Amino acid sequence: MRAQEVLEALKEKLGDKLRSPELKVEEIGHRRIRERGFLWAEIEREDLLEAVRALKELGPLHISIISGADVGEKIELIYHFAVGYGTPDGEVMVNLRLTVPKDDPVVPSICSVLPGALTTEREKIEFLGVEFSGIPDARKIFLPDDLEAHPWRKDEPELSQYVRYTVAWEAKKDERGEARA
Amino acid sequence: MKEVRLEPEEMSEKKLEKTCPTCFEVPIGPIHPALKEGIRFTFWVEGEKIKKVDIRPGFMHRGIEFMGTKRNLVQLIYLAERICGICSVSHPLALVQAVEEAAGIEVPPRAQYIRVIIGELERIHSHLLWAGVAAHELGFDTLLHYVWKVREPVLDLLEDITGNRIDYAIPIYGGVRRDIPPEKYPKLKDALRYYRSLVDDFVNFFLRDPSIEARTRDVGILTREEADVLCAVGPTARASGLRKDVRQDWPYFTYPDLEVKALTPEDMGLEVRGDVYDRIVVRLLEVVQSIQIIERCLEEMPEGEITSVPKVAALLAQLKKAEGEGIGRHEAPRGEVIHYIRLEADKEAPVVWKVKAPTYSNFMPWFPMFEDQEIADIPIVAASIDPCICCMERVYLVRGEREEVVWKEELLRLSREKTKRVASRLARHAPWGRKG
Repeated sequence: MRAQEVLEALKEKLGDKLRSPELKVEEIGHRRIRERGFLWAEIEREDLLEAVRALKELGPLHISIISGADVGEKIELIYHFAVGYGTPDGEVMVNLRLTVPKDDPVVPSICSVLPGALTTEREKIEFLGVEFSGIPDARKIFLPDDLEAHPWRKDEPELSQYVRYTVAWEAKKDERGEARA
Repeated sequence: MKEVRLEPEEMSEKKLEKTCPTCFEVPIGPIHPALKEGIRFTFWVEGEKIKKVDIRPGFMHRGIEFMGTKRNLVQLIYLAERICGICSVSHPLALVQAVEEAAGIEVPPRAQYIRVIIGELERIHSHLLWAGVAAHELGFDTLLHYVWKVREPVLDLLEDITGNRIDYAIPIYGGVRRDIPPEKYPKLKDALRYYRSLVDDFVNFFLRDPSIEARTRDVGILTREEADVLCAVGPTARASGLRKDVRQDWPYFTYPDLEVKALTPEDMGLEVRGDVYDRIVVRLLEVVQSIQIIERCLEEMPEGEITSVPKVAALLAQLKKAEGEGIGRHEAPRGEVIHYIRLEADKEAPVVWKVKAPTYSNFMPWFPMFEDQEIADIPIVAASIDPCICCMERVYLVRGEREEVVWKEELLRLSREKTKRVASRLARHAPWGRKG
């Protein structure tokens, strides 16, 4: 599948809901040049499920990961999908970016379309404090059950105390001679 | 298609009491002889059959992504290398791709071939290690010792090329740090010939052995549909019949030139069943495939530079100015590795760094694999958790023309000296030390 085809198909299905799509095509290889496509786009949370369904119709769909960051007033999530595995050089990376306000961090879960996304959604709950509506299992996965802080959030006093402690501890390594020994 | 169960809430203890009053709960882990690393499995069994499983990882969480955002990008490579001791070049390879894309750094062709060669050598050693672990989990320790013995030459080779048995420290943004000089080609070719001559033995020992077949056939089945919807990666997905391989699907490095194909048991003329036996088949096929890829690389590898930015100071200055985001993917021995990175100008450390290792994707497929299996099959089904064996026996130094080996006794001496040094320093600073 070509990146251009993926973009056109998504535009046709989603129309204006796919905002500021950006296509990046690179050439890879020395003897035989192949194209490699990245598609970056923004999307509203209401349209996320529709977009994932549209991607799934395009070809075999794989979710690599959801990455996220605390960007001040909002939380940003990026869904990294790979569409079209199984054919040589046929995979296109589709990266859908969505932002949610911190006071209402609810995102629809995509597990109903792609059950394999459960692990990464559970991770985002505990690390960023977002909520996924309709997620089949919202328990902690990597962090201790009694930890209430969200390590990737920058606005949590309890957490920043941990961070300050850890950074100070790392800095003191030199004094203790551990780093050089 | 077997129904994919995703509602552990529904299968909570109360409901389980109603639906399966004769079920017993069997916890395995976080620390257990059958497991090599800390993870907790909770099985609900009826007689010998597993009715439900719950898996709780998190005992090995080190917060590496957080640590990464406190380091500069060159330090980050060596941190990424330590995410996994076995796929120790896969994470740096994905990371350098992500940063190169974000910062727009070109990579010379020879460096890309060297990256491929190291990646494929790693695949050979990782698959052999896995084969040994699988044999051990089946109670076939003779085979474990045999396989790990024949794994040694590839580690020696990696040591010879890079200076380290694991954690090779080879990739750098814009290329690689060490060339493979033509004088080393014969040594590489000899090792590849050695592994080629062993393939028949492996097929005999693993695939034609009646006891291994009895223990692994139709055990831990993952159907094609389950592998697809649960986003399995690597040999686990391919053993279920999915032709899914980052090297084939998504062009990077020189893999498009090498025409890598995703291998499934069909390539050996077998019907795909998606069981543990098929996973052995796929890994053995991939060892042969890696040998072929390295041979082709040695033939086709062009002369030239090995890095586009040789000076680390210049590289750091360039990276400090860079702004943007990038994705790097690599097919590690166990499956897809992906790194996402975001760089901001005037910041030495990345703003966001997200890492995904193969087991992260292969976590969900574990659930259907365990269903309706027997308790005795738990270790072999769970064996996709590879152990990290650190090779502490010796250190191999390659400094210019000189090659020397530091043996265990020497390491022990160094270690004792360090203990002495640390103890004396501690005594100096300790309150009871000052009095005297």
